[in-house]
Amino acid sequence: MTGFKEFAQACRTIEDIPGSLDMTEKVAQLLQDVNCDELPVVTHFIMGEVFPAWSTEDLGIGTSLLYAALSKAAGISLKDIESLIRDTGDIGKTATEALNNKSKGQAQTTFSSFIEDTQELSILEVFERFKNISKVSGKGSQTTKIKNLQYLFNSSSPDEAGYIARLAIEDLRIGVGEGIVRDAIAKAFDVPIPYVERAFMLTNDMGLVAVTARRGGVEEVTKLNIELKRPIKMMLAQVTPTIEDAIKEMEIAAIEWKFDGARVQIHKDGDNITLFSRKLEDVTRSLPDIVSAVKEHVTAESAILDGEAFAVDESGRPRAFQEILKRFRRKYDVETTAREIPLTLRLFDLVYLNGENLLDKPLTERRAALVGCVENSGPVKVDEQTLTDDVEEVNRIYNEALEAGHEGIMIKNPQSPYSPGKRGKNWLKKKPLMETLDLVVIGAEWGYGRRTNFMGSFNLACHDPDTGRFLQMGKVGTGINDEQLAELTETFSKLIVIESGMEIELKPEVVFEIAFEEIQKSTNYDSGFALRFPRLVNVRDDKSPDEADTLKRIEDIYSTQ
Amino acid sequence: MFKATIDANLLKDSIESLSVLVDEARFRISPEGIAVRAVDPANVAMVSFDLPASAFDGFEADDSEIGIDLTKITDILGVVDKNEKVLMELDEMSQKLSLHIGGLSYTISLLDPSTIRAEPKIPQLELPAEVVLNGIDLRKAVKAAEKVSDHMLLVVEGDLFFMEAEGDTDRVRLDMPRDQLIDLKPGNARSLFSLDYLSDIVKPASKSNEVTLSLGMDFPLKINFTISNSDGKVGYLLAPRIESD
Repeated sequence: MTGFKEFAQACRTIEDIPGSLDMTEKVAQLLQDVNCDELPVVTHFIMGEVFPAWSTEDLGIGTSLLYAALSKAAGISLKDIESLIRDTGDIGKTATEALNNKSKGQAQTTFSSFIEDTQELSILEVFERFKNISKVSGKGSQTTKIKNLQYLFNSSSPDEAGYIARLAIEDLRIGVGEGIVRDAIAKAFDVPIPYVERAFMLTNDMGLVAVTARRGGVEEVTKLNIELKRPIKMMLAQVTPTIEDAIKEMEIAAIEWKFDGARVQIHKDGDNITLFSRKLEDVTRSLPDIVSAVKEHVTAESAILDGEAFAVDESGRPRAFQEILKRFRRKYDVETTAREIPLTLRLFDLVYLNGENLLDKPLTERRAALVGCVENSGPVKVDEQTLTDDVEEVNRIYNEALEAGHEGIMIKNPQSPYSPGKRGKNWLKKKPLMETLDLVVIGAEWGYGRRTNFMGSFNLACHDPDTGRFLQMGKVGTGINDEQLAELTETFSKLIVIESGMEIELKPEVVFEIAFEEIQKSTNYDSGFALRFPRLVNVRDDKSPDEADTLKRIEDIYSTQ
Repeated sequence: MFKATIDANLLKDSIESLSVLVDEARFRISPEGIAVRAVDPANVAMVSFDLPASAFDGFEADDSEIGIDLTKITDILGVVDKNEKVLMELDEMSQKLSLHIGGLSYTISLLDPSTIRAEPKIPQLELPAEVVLNGIDLRKAVKAAEKVSDHMLLVVEGDLFFMEAEGDTDRVRLDMPRDQLIDLKPGNARSLFSLDYLSDIVKPASKSNEVTLSLGMDFPLKINFTISNSDGKVGYLLAPRIESD
């Protein structure tokens, strides 16, 4: 059994390491030191997550709940907690300080103080408590969550409490992200990085990959495969500047419309259908019409299909993207919304069929199999595809797609495999819109004047997948109307981590699609870049923060503009 | 096997004495009766509950352990008349418990006991002072304290027992000399407790006309009483808040 103390010490060390190689080394060592039961937990914890990304389990710990637990554990008032937040500017430091300040208040003791052979808090116990917290619901659930947190704070040293507080909001901030953990698993258990990477793409569960690597090395890691009901990352497309470039590179290309809708991954296991959004959230319950359409028109016994769901109005033109998201997010009155906004499903890929993984088969073969197991009927269709090397024809298809009100076209390499989670050169997209960036909102400022009670401007950050950090590259305050501002203020008020004066720090959760004139070098922000004339185009509820544009992409755009 | 008949009111009070601290509990069943030991999620309050076979109208059981979601039982008992009888029967194969009340018959799924927090280690404590009082008096003091503060001091000084709460601006105190108490064993005792917990605990305690408090200096408080004046026993242990200078 490893104590949480050991984990906290490792975090402290890692936090102070400047280089990612040394960091990887230290993480690898930690992964080797813990036992097999602890390994998946530590793998997730070190990246600042409690459950695998695809899991439906959710902690639901907001900052007010966290403050309440700290106040009770330390025996100091909520006001004192809030003033500590203002002084330290950090939730972890606040927890540490609060518990150091215990003696100033009337701290609640636990029975551990009255039992002689008390055991120290273990990593697994912390995980168990988080699991309890995610399970409670209904009347009194807030109190139970607070008490579980209070227990954790009271059973740990002030230093450990700091990391518990950060884990509770799933933002550890020690600079360890997927990239470093992937490399650390490879190093710790002697499995080449590409195998670890592939296993992660197929399972979406770094903890599982780590345990498999330790138990069975390369051989077992290679066996990790797609499983029904466990989503895999979706393959993504790069933007191509021109159709000519794209065709020149591919020679013969497969052209499809790019629909203005929301991506959906469909898992069919007999009559059991599960739908996942782009963020890999289970959206089955929100989309009953898609479920029944798939049941009726997909003839395969088991399959994982990739497609796009969109809605059309009376004139047959696609409805706004936000309308479709309404369907995806809806939890109540699902049937009514389904009638108001009926969805059309266009399928374009098949990655798994009747027990067989098709990922490494070329697109042409996957597509033939797809056509073979879908009856084109009503709302479900296999998307039309044209194989061509003729730029004229591609332009014609592109214009048709735009005239029909859709986004543009996809240009795919017919020989390419399906690469989960990759944004490579095998799939290209062509859209007429000026390029936009998807950036994470990490902070805000209260507005002035007419916007006094609203958050007036938002701090934007790109993602660094190696370290898991979000690096700021500007602010946006334009392109937002009053109604939207009210809505955003409400959304973000649940994500406030720290508030001091007009400045607000937010839990990185919401992604903005941002238009801009130009990317500039800048010393003002920690990304090293800034945006000229940024404005908000869309709130991308379908994207998770780690899908935001990466620092690498910003650098690429900067060097080509 | 387990099959027992019990007064609905007694069952209700029994469940309440547990549900003030936990949502789910492990019940140890034996030929002698039923026992529960549970600790609240924060490890601040414990309950030990014993309902001997003699408290039931009928009781047949082997040794077993079952996990129960207390909120389910509370909901069911919410629609039951006070004076009705409840017949409980365990189906070990399917891990279901059925409750027959009048013409109604409920079947509830049990929880796997291993998923419920383990029984706590109970600290061995020497508590010098002891106060015996009517549960209603204890409840009165707690109610008054809630108005001014979130914690309350319990003190025994010579032949005097008093409870005091002090908030940012206001103060309330209830003095109870020996002649207003059922009994008092003098000893040095002064400890501070969170009202979050006391408020919940005094609910079941207030129904008993004889509640025993055992106290020490900055030490846990023990609260013992019998359930609805039956053979059933409930004991709470509450960890103090430590006041420092």
